[in-house]
Amino acid sequence: MSQPARHTPIRSTVKGVREAIPLLGGYIPVSLSFGLVATQAGFSTWEAAAISALIYAGASQFLFVGMVAAGSPLWLVVAMTLLINVRHVVYGPNLASWLPPSRHWPWLMHGLTDQVFALALTRLPQLSAPERFSWFMGASLLAWGVWIVGTVVGATAGETLTARWPLLGEVMPFALPALFLTMVAPRFTDKRWALAMGCTILSALLFTLYGWSNVAIPLAAACGALCFYIVKFQTGARTL
Amino acid sequence: MSTELWIAVIACAIGTLLMRVIPFLWMQRRLNSDTGINNMPQWLGILGPLMIAAVLGVSIMPVNPSAIAWIATAIGLSVTLAVWTRLRSLGWPVAAGVAVFGLVQMAAYI
Repeated sequence: MSQPARHTPIRSTVKGVREAIPLLGGYIPVSLSFGLVATQAGFSTWEAAAISALIYAGASQFLFVGMVAAGSPLWLVVAMTLLINVRHVVYGPNLASWLPPSRHWPWLMHGLTDQVFALALTRLPQLSAPERFSWFMGASLLAWGVWIVGTVVGATAGETLTARWPLLGEVMPFALPALFLTMVAPRFTDKRWALAMGCTILSALLFTLYGWSNVAIPLAAACGALCFYIVKFQTGARTL
Repeated sequence: MSTELWIAVIACAIGTLLMRVIPFLWMQRRLNSDTGINNMPQWLGILGPLMIAAVLGVSIMPVNPSAIAWIATAIGLSVTLAVWTRLRSLGWPVAAGVAVFGLVQMAAYI
């Protein structure tokens, strides 16, 4: 009889909030930077916050304000912003089997960023079915809220903060690779997956090093998928 | 912001939201149909974990790339992996990795 008490929506939401905290190590410095860059590009604090609240996609927001500041035609700004976000098309279908039907998804899917997707794909299968909706809501709303607040702080006090604690801006983003490593590590038990994952990580890093950071995620994933389908181990290999 | 710029922001927002919502709802309806869960394409199940690996690869790049930053990244990731191997959890490996990464960076400044 005590079973339902353990899965109250509030507890699951708090669990989602707690487990999304490591994401903030990456969100805070980037949102501070975006606020700073947006104000330097001529946007007001609340306009920068509106961009963060409405578009809510890191790389494309930087591209948006950069292209607007450079005087690019608006149709091209919109096209490039959407092109960068095309990778999000794959995220929703991967989570679909883990999340219950709800009329709230059209709004909650707004919070499906790279980081929230990675966390959700790892954690949702480990949660009980009644917990998943509230967990996703807690995790995604925390990330979204911090992103907006970070933008406002960056727009109003970005220069002061980065000047006072320059090391903070370098150390905090390391929470992201550390978090993703803990998510990817369990896949390395299988030779075929290990090779595909290794190929993906390496190619994503190389694409980023050579300045292709905007297309690195889909291209690297495609390289890894190619590797997964082409290379097959004869002995001791397990398939998906 | 001018009206045209607001329209551009809203177009980007709606476009991005639709890219997140429509494939999700499409797949949910497909899974809830008579054909059942086996209807999910295999390539999607493969691409999901690979996308996370790609995000890891992109995020490995230090904020200010330098020899020290790369060494700190390598040590930080090794510590994260070592703690994960022992605890198999999300929180402590990340905290340990960030702490060691920060210490190496600070040591380099001193």
